[in-house]
Amino acid sequence: MEAEPDGLWAYCVARDDAALAEGGPGVHPGDELTWLRDGGLALLVSRVPLAEFGEEPLRRNLNDFAWLERVARAHEAAIAAAFQAAPVVPLRLATIFAGEDGARRMLEERREALAGALDLLAGREEWSVKLLIDRELGSAPAPEEATAEVGSGTDYLMRRREERRRRAEADDRAAGLAEDVHAHVQEVAVAARVLPAQNRELSGLEGDMVLNGAYLVERDRAADLRALVAALEEREQGHGARIALAGPFPPYSFVPEAA
Amino acid sequence: MSSGPLGPRGAQSLPGRPESGASLADILERVLDKGIVIAGDIQINLLDIELLTIKLRLLIASVDKAREMGINWWEGDPTLQRVDDQEGVENGNTKQLEEENRELRERLDRLERLIGEGGGGG
Repeated sequence: MEAEPDGLWAYCVARDDAALAEGGPGVHPGDELTWLRDGGLALLVSRVPLAEFGEEPLRRNLNDFAWLERVARAHEAAIAAAFQAAPVVPLRLATIFAGEDGARRMLEERREALAGALDLLAGREEWSVKLLIDRELGSAPAPEEATAEVGSGTDYLMRRREERRRRAEADDRAAGLAEDVHAHVQEVAVAARVLPAQNRELSGLEGDMVLNGAYLVERDRAADLRALVAALEEREQGHGARIALAGPFPPYSFVPEAA
Repeated sequence: MSSGPLGPRGAQSLPGRPESGASLADILERVLDKGIVIAGDIQINLLDIELLTIKLRLLIASVDKAREMGINWWEGDPTLQRVDDQEGVENGNTKQLEEENRELRERLDRLERLIGEGGGGG
């Protein structure tokens, strides 16, 4: 029986003249990262067996959550490592070529757009600022009434109304705070995007995520960003709000559409 | 400090590691939703990824709401285990949750109206 051929999994694009590091693990164990250089650009790739990454198996595997997590983490880690040395344009998960020819053709066809994107993103990093609210701490505590006895219908209605009012107040406060934090962070950023809130099980963060912001920041302003977030956090201490700052990341959220 | 665009980075911060380890939510958000889309030679139907993204997004959006309502079937289960063993969350559980949610709300409204009309008897 003949062995299945390999394909090339692509991670990101960099300039060929940048200080690019070879090696490191790819999405398939045992197949290392390498740069494919063509006409001034370099594409980070690693070999993948088509028995696992070909059309049919890939479709299945992408819906296997454990497989997806492993591959997603490896894909992200490879791009993060490359980003340590040079500006990169990340490619979305599961960009696979049958061989070098196809990959080179792609670089050729998109050379201008990719080079433009690299210029635009040079010296800039993405940061994540998440605002998390603990509703219990953030609003006045609910009056603990004797709930053991079954109150009258009116009591019940009043309680529900009060509860609704408190919740609405807490929501308003959280939304206002999210807007305020976003506006402040935007001032040190060259671009910003508000992303959908994340599910708690996946994020591992406590509290309600009321802001999930992505910010493109000049590298030499990273210290300003840290100082700003520290100041905001201090201001909100004791109000049940917490700010999670993470970064720097490759500028995933800010790759120009044209690239 | 270098002012060049490729000046040494990581001089004052730890190279590589973001301050907090990236959660699965962060990773998936980045690699599934972002980055440029290039049609490779392996034509995985992009819809398949699209579909997966939608599934995840639905879960992301619905979990807090569902928990507020006391629906917590996923708890005690390995994270999102259900995504892959269901035909599709979007036409399975989430739809069902939304439906249940709507029914409960309607029942509650009816009850409140009844109690209100009854003038607080009981």
